[in-house]
Amino acid sequence: MSAYFDRVPDSVFRVFSFVVITLLLLLIIFPLYFMATTAFKFEREIYSELTWIPREPTLINFQNAIYNFHIPLYARNTLIVALSTTAIVVTISVLAAYALTRLRFPGRAIMARGVLFVYLIPGSLMLIPMYLIIVKIGLKDTYPGLIVANMSFSVPFCTWLMMGYLRSISTEIEEASMIDGCTRLLSLWHIVIPLSIPGIVTAAIFIFNNVWNEFIFALILAQDDAHRMISVGLSNFYRSDYYMVGPMMAGSLIAMTPVVLLYIFSQRYVVSGLASGAVKG
Amino acid sequence: MSQEIVSQPILARPANQKKRSLFAGDKVLGWILVTPALLVVLGMVGYPFVEAIRISFTDRMIGRGPGRWVGLANYEYILAWPEFSQMVVRTIIFALIAVFAKTVVGLILATALNQDFRGRNVLRGVFMLPWILPTYIIVLVWRWIFDGQTGLLNQILMSWGLIGENYPFLARTGSAIGLLLFVMVWKGYPFYALTFLAGMQTISSELYDAAKVDGAGRIARFRYITLPGLRQVMGVVILLSTIWTMNSLEIPLLLTGGGPSNDTEVFPLLTYHLAMQNFRLGEGAALPIMMLPIIALLVLGVAGAMDKEATQ
Repeated sequence: MSAYFDRVPDSVFRVFSFVVITLLLLLIIFPLYFMATTAFKFEREIYSELTWIPREPTLINFQNAIYNFHIPLYARNTLIVALSTTAIVVTISVLAAYALTRLRFPGRAIMARGVLFVYLIPGSLMLIPMYLIIVKIGLKDTYPGLIVANMSFSVPFCTWLMMGYLRSISTEIEEASMIDGCTRLLSLWHIVIPLSIPGIVTAAIFIFNNVWNEFIFALILAQDDAHRMISVGLSNFYRSDYYMVGPMMAGSLIAMTPVVLLYIFSQRYVVSGLASGAVKG
Repeated sequence: MSQEIVSQPILARPANQKKRSLFAGDKVLGWILVTPALLVVLGMVGYPFVEAIRISFTDRMIGRGPGRWVGLANYEYILAWPEFSQMVVRTIIFALIAVFAKTVVGLILATALNQDFRGRNVLRGVFMLPWILPTYIIVLVWRWIFDGQTGLLNQILMSWGLIGENYPFLARTGSAIGLLLFVMVWKGYPFYALTFLAGMQTISSELYDAAKVDGAGRIARFRYITLPGLRQVMGVVILLSTIWTMNSLEIPLLLTGGGPSNDTEVFPLLTYHLAMQNFRLGEGAALPIMMLPIIALLVLGVAGAMDKEATQ
């Protein structure tokens, strides 16, 4: 078997790779292509026939999504919650990750090891108590309620990501600066944080995307229209008896735009940050 | 001997001083820096966890006060439920199949992308789309494609003459399970491929050259260089993904909602249904607690099979 494979020339393997990549690529593009084209079709075209290109391109679905289905309001709500969560989580996590990787204090080892084990806790287990706690402290249908709920798993995750990144940075410059009289906090501010910008950007993008894309907390914690998240707003287009495919696809295009733009802008950061933080960490 | 005793304090003093200046106040500063994160984890993960256990011993319902202590009644109710064991087996099998498929497709894609060709970076970016796009959008789009009345897949199959009438893909057990797994894998494998690819690129090409000189074939090189080099990466990815996949609520909730006739009802979904549709918080809380040992065992099994360093 092995010997048989070894006799196969390299060119055959290249062709095989090409075929595999093409097939997987088609499977990825297929739903996205139809999401994008359907957003520009009239209702009757969507339901009556299969067209690969919109026969009469229209913006009516976008108009519908924006004026009748409150997509701008949901997007604004989501942006507020996502940005706030990201800022708070990144600040808290960078400080914790710095302490857990650089400082020696009692309890450090347990906490450093425990960070990842928070993932052992099923999200569905947190669903009920989180709902009750948020209701009890009066934060249901508010931005702070959603921010607090989203922080729960983001903080350990972001701390873990930053710990991996900080470990990959040499401590020599820090030590040199401290021998020269720099305090811990000054060296954190002037040396460690500038050096870990790629890691911080990666972590921030992860958290922002997670909150922007979050669905379950948004579904149970923000049930009034004024504080609805875009994920819940869009899934509401889908009712069991009928659904509005056109506006849903238009809304989906709007909702995925910030995530995609952010990713294109930061692809280098994310890939290198992921490689050094999550992978080698 | 005496020389050593005399010389020791002299040598030790500067070393100690250096240590003190480097790590002075570490204990206090360390705790100050960790406290905010610790408070979040204790308050928003630890406390709810304890609350979940407490609620699971009560008959609490939404909108009916704190509920009464009922002991193990909720657990007995769930255990006595005839479909419980089926649900457990289904959850585990779905997760194992999905993780296995994601690993295999991820490995194949990473190997294919780990060659030099033009446009590789663009391709890598496109392959990340399923991973970065919101899960709910992906599921809503696939759900429309698979829809039994106006779905795209039915339109395509009809226009090609492959089927005579609409097929309700999500309303038939076999196709519903298959498509649920398909969407889970579609969404998940790019993350595997990206991390495997990053891992492959850390493996020195000299190893491959040396192996080639020694006459190792393609399979042997993959088996004895690539796979061992990826052990740590694969360990982390598979460990995390097993937990994520087992706990995945969003995809089954939005794609099938547990149907047809509960054939895709996995445990996170049942918890959601018990709590948010039937308002039975006690039983809803008890269910994931009963699944904890299974999840922990699975995770330990995966972690144990991989390098211990991988969990660090």
